[in-house]
Amino acid sequence: MTRLAEEPTRGVRRPLTYWNPEFQRIHSPILRYGFSVVSVTIAFAVAFALQHFRFRDVEVPVFTVAIAFTTWYAGAGPSVLAVVLCSVCFDYFFTEPLYSLEISNRDLPYFFIFLAWAGIVASFSAVRRRIEDSLRKTRDNLQVEVKQRRRQEDEIRKLNQELSQRAAELEATNEELESFAYSVSHDLRAPLRHMAGYSELLQRQASSALDEKSQRFIRTILDSAKRMGNLIDDLLAFSRIGRAETRKTAVDLEHLVQEVVAEIGQDTKDRDIAWKIGALPVCYGDRSMLKLVVTNLVSNAVKFTRMRRPAEIEIGCVDRNEKEVEVFVRDNGAGFDMQYINKLFGVFQRLHLPEQFEGTGIGLATVQRIVHRHGGKVRGEGTVDQGATFYFSLPKAQGPAERKANAP
Amino acid sequence: MTTLGRILIVEDDPNDVELTLTALADYNLANEVVITRDGQQALDYLYCRGEFSTRATGNPAVMLLDLKLPKVDGLEVLQQIKSDERLKMIPVVVLTSSHEEKDVMRSYSLGVNAYVVKPVDFHEFVNAVKELGVFWAVINAPPPGSVTK
Repeated sequence: MTRLAEEPTRGVRRPLTYWNPEFQRIHSPILRYGFSVVSVTIAFAVAFALQHFRFRDVEVPVFTVAIAFTTWYAGAGPSVLAVVLCSVCFDYFFTEPLYSLEISNRDLPYFFIFLAWAGIVASFSAVRRRIEDSLRKTRDNLQVEVKQRRRQEDEIRKLNQELSQRAAELEATNEELESFAYSVSHDLRAPLRHMAGYSELLQRQASSALDEKSQRFIRTILDSAKRMGNLIDDLLAFSRIGRAETRKTAVDLEHLVQEVVAEIGQDTKDRDIAWKIGALPVCYGDRSMLKLVVTNLVSNAVKFTRMRRPAEIEIGCVDRNEKEVEVFVRDNGAGFDMQYINKLFGVFQRLHLPEQFEGTGIGLATVQRIVHRHGGKVRGEGTVDQGATFYFSLPKAQGPAERKANAP
Repeated sequence: MTTLGRILIVEDDPNDVELTLTALADYNLANEVVITRDGQQALDYLYCRGEFSTRATGNPAVMLLDLKLPKVDGLEVLQQIKSDERLKMIPVVVLTSSHEEKDVMRSYSLGVNAYVVKPVDFHEFVNAVKELGVFWAVINAPPPGSVTK
């Protein structure tokens, strides 16, 4: 920026050494004072000549013109010199007594009027010069600013271009992903259905002719087809969460948790589960997605406490700060080894054998994806055979008054 | 169960055709079934043209329609049927592999009567086809002009 600010003066100075057209001024101080002397000399000569031809009392305007020229073209210092020189010349050659620096009392007012006149002309010129200078400075500043603004605009335009390009790329990728999911959804399930269907028909048709081992083979084919069907369904559901739009409203978490627990409780009537549900706040998010989060975490807790009597499942919250709330689901089940914590939320990552606990390994990945889409975080803590706690944070809803106003 | 409506199946995959027929046969619903293998053939059947120009007139009591079909796809067939005065009364059930929201939305906005996703599990599949057959071909009163037995 400093480099830029210097540029205008440097650019003007280069073409001429004596004369500065931009400032309408002579450059070197010697030349300027010289100009002062020369103009006073010319004025003196003119005044002298005029007096010689008996024109009376013209020396004051002539000297004033010389002073004005000097001030205009050479600046303040030379103009002071011009005033002094003119005064001396005027006194010496044009006031009584002639050819002496003495001033008679009669001419004193006349002399002072000349001095005042010279001073006024010089100061007017100086003021004009000052105003001009400041205008010029402002103009330079404006030029620099305009240049800077233009550069910033260029930069913004470039960034915008990049952004729209990036957006287009993203859109293309998204479309590709969508068509991929679409074709998986349509084409991948059909052969699976045929495998399952024909194995079933084979079993039905030839069950009497098949021995126990062959029957087991067919059962395995059926189970695998079914399992793969579930995997595909889960994966599609997972990818749908990433693509679907979130419809955010105020969600009463306590109500949501009670709903989920009631639904899951239907399937676990024969289990001995001690539920403990703490007070939960209202938060801001997509209700169906948040329900999926709670359902996944609670059904995990139920699944991994299968061998406990009683199973203890606690759902509560920690008030982190004013903006977000952290909800936890704690159980006394199988737990996990903290050294595998980085695998916990991965897609199709499992920390248990399928014989121990069934599942596709997509539940926690779904939880993480939904919570991330809400701008929150997930984490888990656990000890093998002691239980696990899963936390997720969510932004709080606004104040109660606003919430009511926004409610449909 | 006095009358049995005719079922029109539009399905390109021969395996799916066989499995669907097997499921219908399990419940004695397979005797009034017409199979067409793509959207074009289905429309030919409905308009009694081409290879079906000699068939007796009358609409099916229900149409089971797959979405991914060669030539004319399921959604186009659906659009054609629902925009034709003579055909729009035919109950159309989409029976497909996909439960992509996009397909469901398009189908319902075109006026489909039901949308059923084919389950991977065979028992569930048989059950779904059976329920469909029983409901649409037996329980449901078909629109006037449908072929019944």
